[in-house]
Amino acid sequence: VAVSLVDKDDQYVLNHCTRFLARDSTDARHDFGQYPPGDPRAAICEAWRFPIVDSHYDGRSVEDSYPYNDVTFVHDGRGRDVRSVAVVGSFGDLYAPLPLRPVRFLGEETGLRALTVRIRKGQVHAYVFVVDGRRELDPINPQRTKADDGREWSRFFTENCQVPLELSRRERELLTRLVTHLLPFRLEENSRLIRNVYDQLDAAARRDQFPLAYKLDEEVGVVNYIDKVLARQEQHNADDYHACLGLIDGLLRARNGGLDPLLLSPDVFEDLYREMASDNVPGWDRSRYGSPQFFLVLLRRHAMTGAFVHPKAGGNSGAAGWSYLETRYTDDQGQTLFDWRRAIEAPLGHNTDYRG
Amino acid sequence: MTTPEEEVDVLVIGSGAGGAPLTSTLVQAGRQVLVMEKGPLLRTQYQAPDGVSDFKRDETFATGSEKRITVPGVANQGESFYSSHVEPDLNDEPHVYSDQGVDRVTIEGYTAQVVGGGTQLYGGVSLRFTPDDFRLRSFNEGRTDLRDDPGGEVIREARDWPYGYDDLEPWYVMAEELVGLNGTREGQAKPTSREVYQPPLDPNPISAFAAAGMDALGMKRYRTPLAVITQDHAPSGRKVPADRDTIKTAFVNRYGDPLGLKSNTWVSLLSPLVGKPNFELRANCVVTHLESDGARVTRAHYRDPLGRARTVRAKTVVVACSAIESVRLLQLSGRQSPDFASRANASGLLGAYFLTHCFGGAQCVVPDRADKSKTLDSDWATDHCATAEFVRANGLWAGGAIYNNTSDGALPISLARTWHAMDMDNMWKGYLGDLSMMGDGFEAYLDMNFGRRLSVAFMANQVPQRDNRIELHPTVVDKWGRPSAYIRKDWHSHDQALMNTLADQCRQILEKGGAMQDISHGSVGGSVVRIANHVLGGARFGTDPKDSVLDPDNRVWGFDNLYVTDGSFMPTSGGANPTLTIQANSFRVGELLKAR
Repeated sequence: VAVSLVDKDDQYVLNHCTRFLARDSTDARHDFGQYPPGDPRAAICEAWRFPIVDSHYDGRSVEDSYPYNDVTFVHDGRGRDVRSVAVVGSFGDLYAPLPLRPVRFLGEETGLRALTVRIRKGQVHAYVFVVDGRRELDPINPQRTKADDGREWSRFFTENCQVPLELSRRERELLTRLVTHLLPFRLEENSRLIRNVYDQLDAAARRDQFPLAYKLDEEVGVVNYIDKVLARQEQHNADDYHACLGLIDGLLRARNGGLDPLLLSPDVFEDLYREMASDNVPGWDRSRYGSPQFFLVLLRRHAMTGAFVHPKAGGNSGAAGWSYLETRYTDDQGQTLFDWRRAIEAPLGHNTDYRG
Repeated sequence: MTTPEEEVDVLVIGSGAGGAPLTSTLVQAGRQVLVMEKGPLLRTQYQAPDGVSDFKRDETFATGSEKRITVPGVANQGESFYSSHVEPDLNDEPHVYSDQGVDRVTIEGYTAQVVGGGTQLYGGVSLRFTPDDFRLRSFNEGRTDLRDDPGGEVIREARDWPYGYDDLEPWYVMAEELVGLNGTREGQAKPTSREVYQPPLDPNPISAFAAAGMDALGMKRYRTPLAVITQDHAPSGRKVPADRDTIKTAFVNRYGDPLGLKSNTWVSLLSPLVGKPNFELRANCVVTHLESDGARVTRAHYRDPLGRARTVRAKTVVVACSAIESVRLLQLSGRQSPDFASRANASGLLGAYFLTHCFGGAQCVVPDRADKSKTLDSDWATDHCATAEFVRANGLWAGGAIYNNTSDGALPISLARTWHAMDMDNMWKGYLGDLSMMGDGFEAYLDMNFGRRLSVAFMANQVPQRDNRIELHPTVVDKWGRPSAYIRKDWHSHDQALMNTLADQCRQILEKGGAMQDISHGSVGGSVVRIANHVLGGARFGTDPKDSVLDPDNRVWGFDNLYVTDGSFMPTSGGANPTLTIQANSFRVGELLKAR
């Protein structure tokens, strides 16, 4: 596999590291429940930012650059006698580790090493560092995965990723039923609009913006956005989803004579929503999860964000949430009153001065 | 063999509104300057080697994913918070404030930690103070008509600045020209000696309602001066896009600008110095304390980008870390050395007279929807409530500026997360708590509010009070183990009267502006934490060493070579956003330092 390397200067690497890594404190001030006791990553601020996934620009064409991200791997070898660090992963040849270069400040080595690789959007990869010839998981990145070989790997995903990572199929289907009630898109004319967004895309746009030909539906990618947030920056909220979706699955089934909740009418979910809002859900096992209202509030924040976030975060698929606003709000002449394309980078939007 | 210790001519700590202007002056005059900045050097597209900016038009950059306060011993431990990508992490670098005897960590009062400081994220509103703002003691001398001042504190605590408006005026012009502003002058209560504004772009249609209200009330209005260029800017070499109207984008307030059109101090003042042999900018470096020998500060101790302890010697040291952090740096240095402490705080006033702004306004839903995503931060301003006539007629000690906001709630996620959430500590809470917003209810909410919310804000002087102060917290420490800033503040009863008066003026503007719905008005008077991110005072300057921390040249009384040039020098907070005045004063100090 040919790997395309990208030059980033030391300033770039330090800019994306100092705030998160530089500290004396070893207190677990960044553990919101996502780490086992004693995990050293709990002392690192926003450890999920590693490796650094950023926009790619080849210096010539935003269209040609758009399908890619720049992914910068950073190894922190401070306080250790490290001779060489390389990275090996599923984005390249597993038998050809790529060496990281030392990052310097005032001409001196900092202990950090870094390497930037161009990788397609929409992908998930496993990787490890090879430190003086020995395999080592990324000690910063909280994302880990077990491969078919039974070994643990560090993991990352690029922008516009549609691959399920945290939630099971069952959980995602149930979540779809739940979030459509929080959003306006299930209403008939809106649902049609969302379908049209996808239908009107040309083949190239479908390929670029929907790498896995993800089907647009009433939840405009919100469930995928939640899956990505739980897999990375809000890992501490993943257990809330697992617990509550399990509870909801069980109690709806019990209430409806064993019928699969996915087959129930939308009214059932609307009633459930009201019960959760009042924090009084008959049959809810509070020993498994204290407050259904607390979960509803969490879900509301994720649903709102996922519907209107920049599509690179995995929600607002194909900018369907923005297109909904663009179409719904117009002036007397039919001109839109939410011209999001004007500010957002081409080819997603129309702006050619801003490159994303 | 050991490497000789690094020595520089001038060390400037902080690259924002207080540090960058004087750096520009000194470097151009041939002095050797090292700027140390705690935050990263985030570049624009035209500066980045690969043509991609570190700033993005992405709503999750302004308000990030959920984190939780884990700082031990504070009342809001466990609560969620959402910070921008360049605001300090609250668990790493907490600011603690005291609220009715209970300590809480707050996100309010931070400025951005990035090269350019708060000017990277601000809306760019760049108003001057009025002539009377510089002489509030004289202005109020002998008055007996001040409302809600039973103890006479307002008269007693009002201070004149060591210089007047006319003295600062040339520096205002220099700041406006070199930073790069657009706006109009006609109608301002702030005379100028020279016109340097670039022309404003067409206002957002929603602002017509604010303009109509101001007109109906006989308020002279002008286009709000904004630190955004609308034409190519020769002093900084910046160029505007071919379609100048695309400069207007709601990704402005709380966003860094990937195109560098917002005139932050990095793109306007520091970036043009890059490459000069007598200028160095060291980003990602935090100064932990200063060391002195008698009346001279000799050395700064800092941590490099990976946290390694280093030192640098300097002949002159300028502290400009924003008021809370500058005061804290002097206090922390005093912890290391009793002599430093007694020199920096001979008056006992270091940290005292901390100021923010009397701040508030009114908001409503306008009859006609506008595309609020095509906007800058504000379109119309009025000095109607800043005039001596208005101030006297209302029994107030000082006035303030009023301007309309256009970028607030302009984007869908920001509309939701600021819904009924008046400060950054309460981000998301209003929307998330309103559980009626679902399905049809959600559409009704969008129909009513998206592109239709208009707000008008005032920014006015706060009464200086000695008890409003910045201290070091007795137990809470930052990620370097240093005591955190501890903010103690409350409003004076006259502040409340002033805020009620000006909020009502804002309400009237909206009421007269058209067929508005859902008009509400208010102020920060009910909250001790809200400070509009304007942190001022705590090291005020003056002519009497017993009554001030800095001399009229912004030099710390008791030191020969230590200066403080962020907003902490202000003895009164002014009736407008403070950035332009901080910049103008920094240019003034730069001129003084040229000769030292």
